[in-house]
Order: sequence, then structure tokens, then C-alpha cells
Amino acid sequence: MELSVLLPFIVNVIIGGLVLGFVYAIIALGYTMVYGVLQLINFAHSEVFITGAVVGFEIFRILENSAMNGYLKLLLALVAAMIVSGLLNVLIERLAYRPLRGAPRLVPLITAIGVSLILQDTLRFLEGLQGRFDLTYTLPAGFGNKFCAAEGSTCAPLGNFLRTIGVDVQLKDVILVVVALVSLSVLNYVVNRTRLGKAIRAVSQDRVTAGLMGIDSNRMISATFLIGGALGGVSGVLFGMKFGTINAYSGFDPGIIAFTAAVLGGIGSIPGAVLGGLLLGVIQNLIGVTNIFGNLLGLANLETIDASYSKIGPFIVLVLILIFKPTGLLGKSNVEKV
Amino acid sequence: MTHPTTAPTPAEAPSTSGTPMLELTDIHSYYDHIHALKGITLKAHEGEIVALIGGNGAGKTTTLRTVSGMMKPRTGTLSYLGENIAGKPAHQTMQMGMSHVPEGRRIFAQLTVRENLEVGAYTITDKKLIEERVQEGFAYFPRLKERENQLGGTMSGGEQQMLAIARALMVNPRLLLLDEPSMGLSPLFVEAIFDIIVKLNKEHNTTVLLVEQNANMALAIAHRAYVLQTGEMKLSGKASDIAKDESVRKAYLGED
Repeated sequence: MELSVLLPFIVNVIIGGLVLGFVYAIIALGYTMVYGVLQLINFAHSEVFITGAVVGFEIFRILENSAMNGYLKLLLALVAAMIVSGLLNVLIERLAYRPLRGAPRLVPLITAIGVSLILQDTLRFLEGLQGRFDLTYTLPAGFGNKFCAAEGSTCAPLGNFLRTIGVDVQLKDVILVVVALVSLSVLNYVVNRTRLGKAIRAVSQDRVTAGLMGIDSNRMISATFLIGGALGGVSGVLFGMKFGTINAYSGFDPGIIAFTAAVLGGIGSIPGAVLGGLLLGVIQNLIGVTNIFGNLLGLANLETIDASYSKIGPFIVLVLILIFKPTGLLGKSNVEKV
Repeated sequence: MTHPTTAPTPAEAPSTSGTPMLELTDIHSYYDHIHALKGITLKAHEGEIVALIGGNGAGKTTTLRTVSGMMKPRTGTLSYLGENIAGKPAHQTMQMGMSHVPEGRRIFAQLTVRENLEVGAYTITDKKLIEERVQEGFAYFPRLKERENQLGGTMSGGEQQMLAIARALMVNPRLLLLDEPSMGLSPLFVEAIFDIIVKLNKEHNTTVLLVEQNANMALAIAHRAYVLQTGEMKLSGKASDIAKDESVRKAYLGED
């Protein structure tokens, strides 16, 4: 392939993959943080996240004809989704997981799957009452435009440059990445710099000893579910923005891929979840764009062999990582000196 | 196994009249069906160093765990500062001026030395005071200052023990529960740690409940001592008297 063709192709794959990857990364944080404090895989997280997407849809729908600034609408959608998903996650822990503390690990795991199914149908029911199943985001005008397309705007040179090398970026993709980066920075600050963050890390390493420091581990576990749920809410709105149409069952695929991302990065590790999410986003995009399976099998010209097979990619990566580095890329096997 | 270490001299014994700071009366504790403490009665007065000695499985650690609230006694009364604290969870008793250095140190391996200390100061909200206490900890254990930003889990056993004690001192406790502070340490470290226990007791009037396998050292710095055997109190009295007791010398002080 000519370099002039290859370069924009690679840049496109990477940029598209990173945009998708940021959504996975923020979802993955919800899995990894909860795993950190409870060693529980919260399978209900995919529904906590899609609840955020539904809340975002509702806010945009209600404000559709309002003259409000588009960014303000987005902010409202994000805040509402964070609150609802965050509180929902706290409620799930309180009602479904806490009574099972101390039960064999399989028990809360099955419960998590049960909660997941209940939430799916609750969401479908609530939207069904209003005669809706598929929910299509009504984004503020301009969000779907090309990034910096307007002549004379301050960032037009950047937009022009991207277009000359053949890369198309929509404004909403840029917004998505910015929101994701802001969320990650806030999370990083909270976890590493604040009293709350240190207490959460202490609880996730040794709950009993954290108690000896005067830390109420139940409160920290609730705080973790609140933060993880709020991140789920953010990722839900971003997901809705990116894909446009969602329904009560849309959480499953991205949820399971984000979980894979958390395992890939090393479950329990926050930087690992981000790295895993970004990697899987790029890998999935690469497979989708190149239709590698179709090409390898010589079936690329068949319409039915298309980008939807790209979701296999993350799971191939999962199998490989579990074989060659079971603790994940940034995971630590806890070796303690006795 | 006697180390050629010299124990520091304890402060003069405080008065043991009046209401004790800590009082266990007929405490029974269980691990599931195992009857670990069979009616323990014990007192500690403000400013005392009280040693708990006894063999493996005697219930020393269980006694400390019961006091701090890591486990609930099934029956009996447990009063601290005039309040019945039996059944209170650890995070609440720790807010009443108690600190517990648990068996096996239990430092946070994935937190830095400084973060371990800061977590130890969790109940303090004044940032200036926390920083003061961190510096005090570094003054007690200069080695920790050198390792300030190192992960706790990467330190040697002795350094981890120092960190565990420094972490417990962050709240300037009135009652310090120490579980085997000399476990696995070189004689030099043992001496340093016992020096610090005595210093704390002298300078801050900290009450110390000390569980030790190194009974010689424990009895040398303690004012009073209790001897536990399979969950029961066998003997109690002045540490110097216990140290002279024939049966104790045979059983715990390594003499034939």
C-alpha cells in the first residue's frame, strides 16, 4: 500500500479505536473498582451503565426543543446520569451484595447476574410504558458535524489538517474524549490524593486492618459503588452519543468487552482498566475496518461477513492474556513479606 | 532462646488504685465452635505497661482482638474509659483513642510508607496535625523517612514492623495494643522497638497492652503481667514477680 493511503488509514483506525476505547475504559473502571474492594465481578454494571444511557436519552429528549446551549444540555445529561447510576449502584450493593458478604464467592456472582436481568427488564418496562423500545439520541445541533469544519473558526487549521490527511472526526467524538479525560483526571485525583481515596485503597487491600485505622469499610464500599456507578453513568451518555440508538439490552456487549478490558489491564488496577479499554477499542476497530476475518477466509465480498465480527477481537486478546499473563498487563500478584 | 539484648528500664509503676482504663471481666470469645477465651479477667490502668504472656494458642492474640473490636466476645463485660465497648466494631473503638498493631504487622503493601502513615491518621481531619504526626513518626523511626515514598510491601520485616508501630502512633493513642512486636526481628531491631515502647509510655503516659513471645523482654519493661494458658488466666501480678515465678521460668523463659 502507498504511504499516502496507509498513513491516513492507520490514523483513522487509531483515532476511531481510541474514541471507542475511552468508552470501554470508563465502563471498565466500574468493574475494576468494585472488584478492588469486594473481589466481586459486578455483572450488573452493564445495566448500571445502560441506565445512565437511558437517563441521558431522557434529558436530551426533554430538552430537545429547548433553546438551551448544547453543551449545557450535555452537562445536565451527564450529571443526571451520574446521580441516577451512582445511587442505583449503591442501592444494588446495599440490597443485593451486602447481605451476602461472607457467603461463598459464587453466590454474589449469581446474584449479580440476577440483578442484571432484573434491571434490563425494569428499564424495558419503564420505557415500554411510554411506547418506546429503541431509544434514539436527539443530540444538540452541531454535535454530529465534522470537527472544526467552520471556515475561520480558531481550530479550523487543525480540522483542515485532519481532513487533508484524510481523517474524519466528528465534534461529538472530540467531546467524548474530552469528557472521558476529565472524568479520568478527577478519578485519579480522588483516588490518589484525597483522604477518601486513600481509605478506599486501604479497604481494598485489607479491610480488617483498615478497620483498625478507624475506617468504616462499609462506608468505603458504598463510596466505591457510588463512584463506579457515576462513572457508569458518564460512560452510558457517551455510549449513547457515539452510537445514537440504544435499548434496555444494549449494555451487554460493551459491558462484557469492558470487563475484558479490566481483566486485560489487570483487574483491580485503575490504570490497567484504562489501558485495557483503549487497547481493545483500537483492536476492535482495526478488525472491523479491515474485516480481517472476511479477508483471511476469502469471504470479504460477502455482505454478511462484516464489521460486526470485530467483537471477537477483544475475546481473542482475553484468552491470550489469560494464558500468557494471567494477572493482566498492569496487575500485581500480591506478594507480601511475612 | 534468649537474646543477649538489654531491656530498657520501665518508668515507675503508676497507681493501680481507682478505676482502671481498661477492664475485662469474665470474657468468653469463640472462633466458630472453638472456645478461645474462657473467662478472661484483666485490668490496665492509665500509664501502665501490661504484658500478656503464654504459649501458642493461649488466647493472647484473641484477647487483643476482643479488646479492639476485631471480634465480639460472646459473654462478659469489656469496659474502656468507663464505657462498655463489648461488640463495638474496631473502627469505632479506634476513634476512642485506641490503637492496635495487629499480629503479622498487616501494613498496606501497595501504599507508600507515607500513605500508610496517612491512613493511620484517618480519624484526624486537620492536615497540619497529620503532617506533624508523620514527622514525629519519622523522628521515632528515621529509617521510615528514608523510605518515605517506597511501597510498604517492598520493605524488610523489621522496617514493616516499624511502619506498623508508627502507623498506630499517628493518632497519639491513649491505649496501645501491641501484638508480637518483636516477631521475626533481629535482636537489634527488638531492642529498638522495646526502647520506643518504654519511651512512649514515659513521655506520653501511653497505656500499653503487650503480647509477646519474647517473655524476657516483655517482663523486663512491663509493670504488671498476666500469664495465659489455653484461654484461661493462670497467673497475674507484678512483672518482676512473674519473672521470678518458677513455673513461668520453666514454661516461657526457656529455663529447664
